[in-house]
Amino acid sequence: MPDSTVPVGRRAFLARLGLLGAAVGVGGLLPRSALTPPAAAAQNDLLPDAVGLLRPVLAELARDTLNGLSVFALPGPDAYSAAQGTPGDTPGALEAGTTDFLLDALDNFVPFPDELARPVGAALATGLADSAVPLPGADLLPGQLGTLDRAFSALLENDATIPLSFPIAGMLNLLATQVNPLAVNGAFLSPFARLSYAEKARAFELLEGPDSDLVATLDVHFPEPLKHSVSGLLKFVGGALIEFASFGSYTEYAVFDAETRQLTARPVGWRLTGYQPEGPVEGWDDFIGYYQGRTEVRD
Amino acid sequence: MRDVIVIGAGGGGPVVAKELAAQGLDVLVLEAGPRHADPRAQWTSFENDANNPLTGYFRLGPTDRSKPAWFREWSQNSFVWQLSGVGGTTQHFYGNYPRAYPGVFSGYEGPDRNEYDIEHRFPFSYAEMVPYFEWVEATAPVMTAAMGTKEAVFFRGCETLGLPVQTTKTTTGPSYRPQENAILQPGGNAGRTTDRDLLAYPQATGCTFCGYCFQGCMRPVGAPRNQFAKRSTDNSYVPMALTADVWAPGGRPVDLVTDAFVTRIHTERRGGALTATGVTWRDNASGAEHREDARVVVMAGGCTENPRLWFNSGLPNPNDWVGRGYTDHFFDWVIGAFDDDTGNPKGVGSSARLDFPPYGGLENVGLPPALNAFSTTLSDSGIRGQYTNGRGPTGPWDGPAGRVMGPELKELVAGGLDRLLSVLVITDDDVERDNRVTLSALPADENGPIPKISFRHRARTARTTRNREFMARKAAELLRGAGARKVYRIDWAPLILHVQSSMRMGESERNSVLDANAESRAVRRLFIADNSALPNALGGPNPTLTTQALATRTAEKIFQRYFGGDPWVATGAPVVSTDPRISVRLGELGL
Repeated sequence: MPDSTVPVGRRAFLARLGLLGAAVGVGGLLPRSALTPPAAAAQNDLLPDAVGLLRPVLAELARDTLNGLSVFALPGPDAYSAAQGTPGDTPGALEAGTTDFLLDALDNFVPFPDELARPVGAALATGLADSAVPLPGADLLPGQLGTLDRAFSALLENDATIPLSFPIAGMLNLLATQVNPLAVNGAFLSPFARLSYAEKARAFELLEGPDSDLVATLDVHFPEPLKHSVSGLLKFVGGALIEFASFGSYTEYAVFDAETRQLTARPVGWRLTGYQPEGPVEGWDDFIGYYQGRTEVRD
Repeated sequence: MRDVIVIGAGGGGPVVAKELAAQGLDVLVLEAGPRHADPRAQWTSFENDANNPLTGYFRLGPTDRSKPAWFREWSQNSFVWQLSGVGGTTQHFYGNYPRAYPGVFSGYEGPDRNEYDIEHRFPFSYAEMVPYFEWVEATAPVMTAAMGTKEAVFFRGCETLGLPVQTTKTTTGPSYRPQENAILQPGGNAGRTTDRDLLAYPQATGCTFCGYCFQGCMRPVGAPRNQFAKRSTDNSYVPMALTADVWAPGGRPVDLVTDAFVTRIHTERRGGALTATGVTWRDNASGAEHREDARVVVMAGGCTENPRLWFNSGLPNPNDWVGRGYTDHFFDWVIGAFDDDTGNPKGVGSSARLDFPPYGGLENVGLPPALNAFSTTLSDSGIRGQYTNGRGPTGPWDGPAGRVMGPELKELVAGGLDRLLSVLVITDDDVERDNRVTLSALPADENGPIPKISFRHRARTARTTRNREFMARKAAELLRGAGARKVYRIDWAPLILHVQSSMRMGESERNSVLDANAESRAVRRLFIADNSALPNALGGPNPTLTTQALATRTAEKIFQRYFGGDPWVATGAPVVSTDPRISVRLGELGL
């Protein structure tokens, strides 16, 4: 059954993206049976169901990956921070709602054109250097793997809008497994979330570097004049993910009531920095005069 | 048929509109973004609600915040801080109004005359600009800034550098001083209490030291719009333009239309010369297109949107300088950690500066927690202690430059924001051809092909790079002098926020878009009146005053050349934007 045969490189890619583990690894979200093609049925009959099952898997994978990114920006007393080797007892990004902040921004408000998201997703599907690390879902039957892969492709190709968090999470997970191939297996759904703090930094170094292999790989898949747009955009994304996660972690996002435009609690960022200990102000009593008593200058 | 259509109600457009409205012309102002006519109902002073570039009330996007922001292509690690809306980027600015250095003007004969960007000088003299500086300084109005704790700390550092205090409007050499800023200085209870019951207008007037400049100024509470402390154009020039009939003899109020995105400038050949005739704009909410004609069209959409509109209108670009020569003061960021109170982030965002012609300058800056985090993580030098991204310069700061993030940032702020003081490094950067706006190959949006901003920040000229390194060192020395126990340099990736010169006026037609009157060389009756018209980066001073002075001069040129009028700045007396007649009229208009 050649249609069910997924090349080794492709299997590694799905694993490194985090998809294979999130779907069918230890703690994976999909029942194997959902992927098993009925013997007599045409394969495509199963596909709509599989696509429907895969969408929430991708959403959970994206969330888990962004949990790993959020605590990279602001560690706290959570399992993700502990996993990256920066445990703490003061609140961090997860208490500040940073993951939701990022998902909300990426999926609803970044006007990222599908025309770009789609080829980025497709370009990510190229095989990167393989490794000898055992991949999750090793006991998956070829037919099951084929269903998963086709459902993934169908989802990328057919969904009207691809949430930007999917390709961003995929990119971080690919980088994560480049830095540490062992990250394809382990706690959490996301390979990126399994990295140490230093390994996460190394992943961003790969993304930001002027000669980033990943960026160069992606450029190959785009014709001019988009070629350098994609690499430039990824360098921007590399910086922006860090800056935006850091910004979001210290804002009022998690405790802002949009209806009343009031805060429901003191923001984590305010607690950590001592900002406005009594809450929002109309003014401060910090006027101490004019330098050297001068209130006006002239030529 | 209008007399004048002004595209954009940011820092420059409302100046032309107000000046020509005062002369009785029929002026239409089109603004692509929102009008925040009732800030107490629309703003909060919270950082995410205000400054999130995707969802905040200060963003580049339509009024309807449930709709996405407008996507722009930045082809490098950078942040281009555009804002739509009446007031443009003056909505979030700090009100600093320093004059451009004399050395960037034609005819400058000082001993350091060859040390500036001499290939791209103003096409006229500093002396010619002075009356326009004075006119704007009286209108805004510009005052000497009051001092809070963070200014006292900054001055303490300045006093160790062996520099004089500047006590003039004009900067003649390296020196430091309080800002000359367009902030109404504290009066009554303002700056003297935290009791909100005592901080309502008119018990409190001017700046209350709230620290919310970047989230928009709507204080003191209860003040008329033109009495809010910070003189963003939505508090100064726009109220004047809307009420020109009450404060200018023969004046005529402008029409202001918001959510009106101009997508095309129309032209025709007249007497052999290509001539602007009007514009088409698109209503953000309905998508409906409108067209209106005018005798003169003034572009003021900003350094990024003006080139885009030019290209999308198919206007000629004979010397290929449209969109080129973009300058950004190639900022950097240096932070000091102190053992004592720094007053951060109370008071005006920045009320103290150090000028160092011909290198650039420094400002103290106060930031609330999230913007502080953004500022410590925007870097071209990787993450401190992890990787340097091929850079990581060392110097009189601690360790290599790079992001302070994650656990290190958490530890840094744990002592309190009020133990930190940040210094903005402002570089006198050169006009360079390859720092530019082009059309992006990414998909167009509803208003046409989108702009792409390219900065070759790792390949700036030797002078620009030298100036940035010099000023970053000065910043570190200043903070040490002020008593910082630790100093961090971030080595910012381009934060494109002071924007200049992408549609520059110049002495030579070979490398400029505008002539010395700010009229387009290629299209008659088409003028530019915002930062993009500036010939260069001014030597480093914040651009608003110089842009507004130039826009005032441009308004005179328009009135003389196309409406047969006489100039007014040399002989007239400016009306201050806080004039009570304006307040009364705003009240009548429900504004």
